[in-house]
Amino acid sequence: MMSSLAACGGDSDDESGKDVTLRVNLFGKFGYADLYKQFEKENPGVKIVETAEGDLGKYNTQLTQRIAAGTGAGDVVAIEEGQAVNFLASADKFVNLQDHGANDLKDQYLPWKFEGATTADGSTTIGLGTDVGGLAMCYRRDLFEKAGLPTDREQVAALWPTWDAFIATGQKFQAGMKGQKSKFIDSATNTYNSILMQGADHTYFDKDGELVIESNPAIKTAWDKALEMDEMGISAELKSFSPEWNAGFKNGDFATIACPAWMTGYIKDQAGDANAGKWDIATVPGGAGNWGGSWLAVPEASENQDIAIKLVKFLSSADGQLAAFNAVGNLPSNPTLYDDPALKEATNPYFSDAPVGQLFVAGAANLEPVFLGAKNQPVRDAVENSMRAVENGKRSPSEGWSTAVKDAEKVAG
Amino acid sequence: MHLRDRLARIDIHGAPYFFIAPFFILFGIFGAFPLVYTLWVSLHDWSLLGGNEGWVGLENYSELLADGYFWNSLLNTFAIFLIATIPQLIAALALAQVLNSSLRALTFWRIGVIIPCATSVAAVGIIFTMMFARDFGVVNWLIGLVGVEPIAWNQERLPSWIAIATMVDWRWTGYNALILLAALQAVPKDLYESARLDGASAARQFWSITIPMLRPTLMFVVTVSTIGGIQLFTEPLLFNPGANSITGGDTRQFQTSAMYVVEQAFTGQRFGYAATIAWILFVVIVVVSLVNSLLVRRIRSVD
Amino acid sequence: MTTPLTTSVALPELVDEPDEPPHRRRGRSRLHRASPLTYLTLTFVLIASVAPLYYMVVMASRPNSDITSNPPPITPGGELRDNVTRVFDNPDVVFAQALLNSLLVSLVATITVVTLSALAGFAFAKLRFRGKNVYLLAVIGTMMVPVQLGLVPLYMLMGWVGLAGSLWSAVLPFLVTGFGVFFMRQYIIQAIPDELIEAARVDGASTFRIFAQIIFPALRPAVAVLGLLTFMERWNDFMWPYLTLSPENPTVQVALSRLSGGYYTDQALVMAGTLLATVPLVLVFVLFGRRIVGGIMEGGVKA
Repeated sequence: MMSSLAACGGDSDDESGKDVTLRVNLFGKFGYADLYKQFEKENPGVKIVETAEGDLGKYNTQLTQRIAAGTGAGDVVAIEEGQAVNFLASADKFVNLQDHGANDLKDQYLPWKFEGATTADGSTTIGLGTDVGGLAMCYRRDLFEKAGLPTDREQVAALWPTWDAFIATGQKFQAGMKGQKSKFIDSATNTYNSILMQGADHTYFDKDGELVIESNPAIKTAWDKALEMDEMGISAELKSFSPEWNAGFKNGDFATIACPAWMTGYIKDQAGDANAGKWDIATVPGGAGNWGGSWLAVPEASENQDIAIKLVKFLSSADGQLAAFNAVGNLPSNPTLYDDPALKEATNPYFSDAPVGQLFVAGAANLEPVFLGAKNQPVRDAVENSMRAVENGKRSPSEGWSTAVKDAEKVAG
Repeated sequence: MHLRDRLARIDIHGAPYFFIAPFFILFGIFGAFPLVYTLWVSLHDWSLLGGNEGWVGLENYSELLADGYFWNSLLNTFAIFLIATIPQLIAALALAQVLNSSLRALTFWRIGVIIPCATSVAAVGIIFTMMFARDFGVVNWLIGLVGVEPIAWNQERLPSWIAIATMVDWRWTGYNALILLAALQAVPKDLYESARLDGASAARQFWSITIPMLRPTLMFVVTVSTIGGIQLFTEPLLFNPGANSITGGDTRQFQTSAMYVVEQAFTGQRFGYAATIAWILFVVIVVVSLVNSLLVRRIRSVD
Repeated sequence: MTTPLTTSVALPELVDEPDEPPHRRRGRSRLHRASPLTYLTLTFVLIASVAPLYYMVVMASRPNSDITSNPPPITPGGELRDNVTRVFDNPDVVFAQALLNSLLVSLVATITVVTLSALAGFAFAKLRFRGKNVYLLAVIGTMMVPVQLGLVPLYMLMGWVGLAGSLWSAVLPFLVTGFGVFFMRQYIIQAIPDELIEAARVDGASTFRIFAQIIFPALRPAVAVLGLLTFMERWNDFMWPYLTLSPENPTVQVALSRLSGGYYTDQALVMAGTLLATVPLVLVFVLFGRRIVGGIMEGGVKA
């Protein structure tokens, strides 16, 4: 069942259960350093080597390649939200965690998080959840003040119970900032995704895997709403993760951004110490939402499956998730923690001591599962590209929409 | 027949094959295998992760011919290739002429010219992308000094082509200049002398002596630039940092064919279709090289 | 893979011998004198070649937050030492080992490429054998294969033979290059007179002895150039080592890509790492530049 050729770990020799090197492939920051030490102590002879890739695109390419070739991937790999559906289509390349007691752990996870790494027929689970990207809204207190808006996070949240109210606030903001470069939101695409993920139990694909981009009203609604913001002139029209977008955090190019828990670390790094205390966090319009989040999986090609599965269970356990939250702010996917004072009472000094635990839990706990089809990522890329083209004035909104639909149909095959 | 003669005969006939064998053996293992495998894959519906999903014959190929994004990528590839190569050749030729004079500190200038070669494509991509950034790039800052409005280099089609061509040219012009310079110095001087005696102008000497004598070298430079240009990948990829970089801009304004191959294979998971694009790209390169060789061949008759 | 080429006899230009033996005695005098305009042009070219590298130094010596300021920084800051230290101290990046690995991989590939290319290039340039043109076209054809898609099957191949992740897997596919053979052939045609070989044959020298004792020593300039180019290409290669090497045992370019420690990219850190990866190559250029550059130039007139 496992290929004897999949030898990259070097000294992986688990015959006698000693001296095993477990290779863990991650992207971004998972905050596991202390957890590894603990695991190594509890399992003598196990050594954990983590490699974390900064660029998610590169990480996905490399992981896909290695999984496809059946060799070279780590003993434990992180699967990001957008890739889960791809890997589920080849679930046989991963260890079925249901054969190793995953069903007994089901209660530890938000139901949709568990389902997110389980095949449609429910028979195979390839990964256990780590974090979820429960949404909140990050905003710049200093810019709000300049624009004559309230700055207190309770009052700010009260400004935007709905996305329409959010748009109205944006117009007020823009009117108050006359002649200044700052815009209200970073881009239409991020806002679009936030709205979309709140609006339906499925997005581009229905549960039979059929493309429903035209017939699912939630998509067009989110599309129109997001582009309305652009037409109102409240979008900075910056592309996510581009250098310009990164600079925007520091330069105050935008006053709000839909922000999942993991984004707080990102904002802090980009905006820098000089901007400490200028940012704050309020609830997101519509009350909940999700952006990002991952699973840990064990490739079938791993030579150390048993101990790797043990590590996955350990890292994704309640204690593991809480430790990761404390280290880097990733929001646990384990709902039992949502009542834990350690999480509930956590605050973030960089964001004006915002009660991040409470805010992000509120954004995640009420979420309904959203079904994503196997081709979700390419369809989403196509729609985002077209939306950016509209933002940049390359296409009219209606041209943009028909291009998005056409491209989606093409990539969905 | 003496043993000695026999050995000599074996040597004469066998040695050439013996000399070229290592290349073909090593290429056969590490170059031909992936190629043949790719051809096989291109005849199937083949998911990168899911594997072979059935024989489809030439279906991928007919789909490709009707695929607007493929043609778009080919247009971009050729546009960038031309925008990069033509000025590069002219500049390299001019630079070779300039360097082919009695200079002080000769080596200093020559090293200066090929220094860009030492920089990795990745570094070039990162550096130039920063330089061409809309809001904080040096290029826009410089043109701003003379009153030109900032240009969104990676959003507009022509500016993005120009920026990418600049990266290519920056790295390779100096190197090609030196190659041409070497050839220039190999031109027998007596040819020029007799031309001068015949009263030929400098321009005429250039066209009827220099260019024809440079023909093999030009052939080499053009062939290598063509092959590299049509496979252009890293520069445009890095020029679109952030989300969806593989699509080469929101409207695919600078997505090259090599990028489209990777997009189909990794984002779209369509390994079979990606293999088809790669194979067609291979055919395109062969055809363009043929056309090039015919064009350069004409130099012989220019007089 | 040779099928598209073997069927076409129409690539004659690529395999043509030059019209006349170019090794005729040439005078080296009569270079036109360098005018102030020449120096002005060269100064401009020099600035253009060095400016992006200078910009790299600027960014590597600034705190990250400076990099996206407007107007852009154009003078170096004081953080170079700090940024460099962070590169070496980064626990995710074994930078020192990566430098060593890159050196090993690049050296091995350089040695084999240069030797095997000289061997095959000599056969194609000066020896007569059946099917020569077809084989040469095949060599040129190997350069035309788009690399991106070969990556997946090549990786599978490495997995089958148990080499995926080892340094061997990074070097094996690059032991020979079509470019190298083509390059050497062009050079040998231009630089080595046929009489030299014929004279040695009359003396009874075997083909291999001719190669080892006459040809190879005369190729020193070309060896220097091809060697340097190959070394740089391997040193700067990213995609294949990134896919095949395990991150604990990376090359420099792979290590660089790990410098960004989250979703977040610290451009100053990346630039400092890029600078560190580029400096060794620039040093090689400056130290051996005289030889390499001089080599290209003299090559044509030697012998």
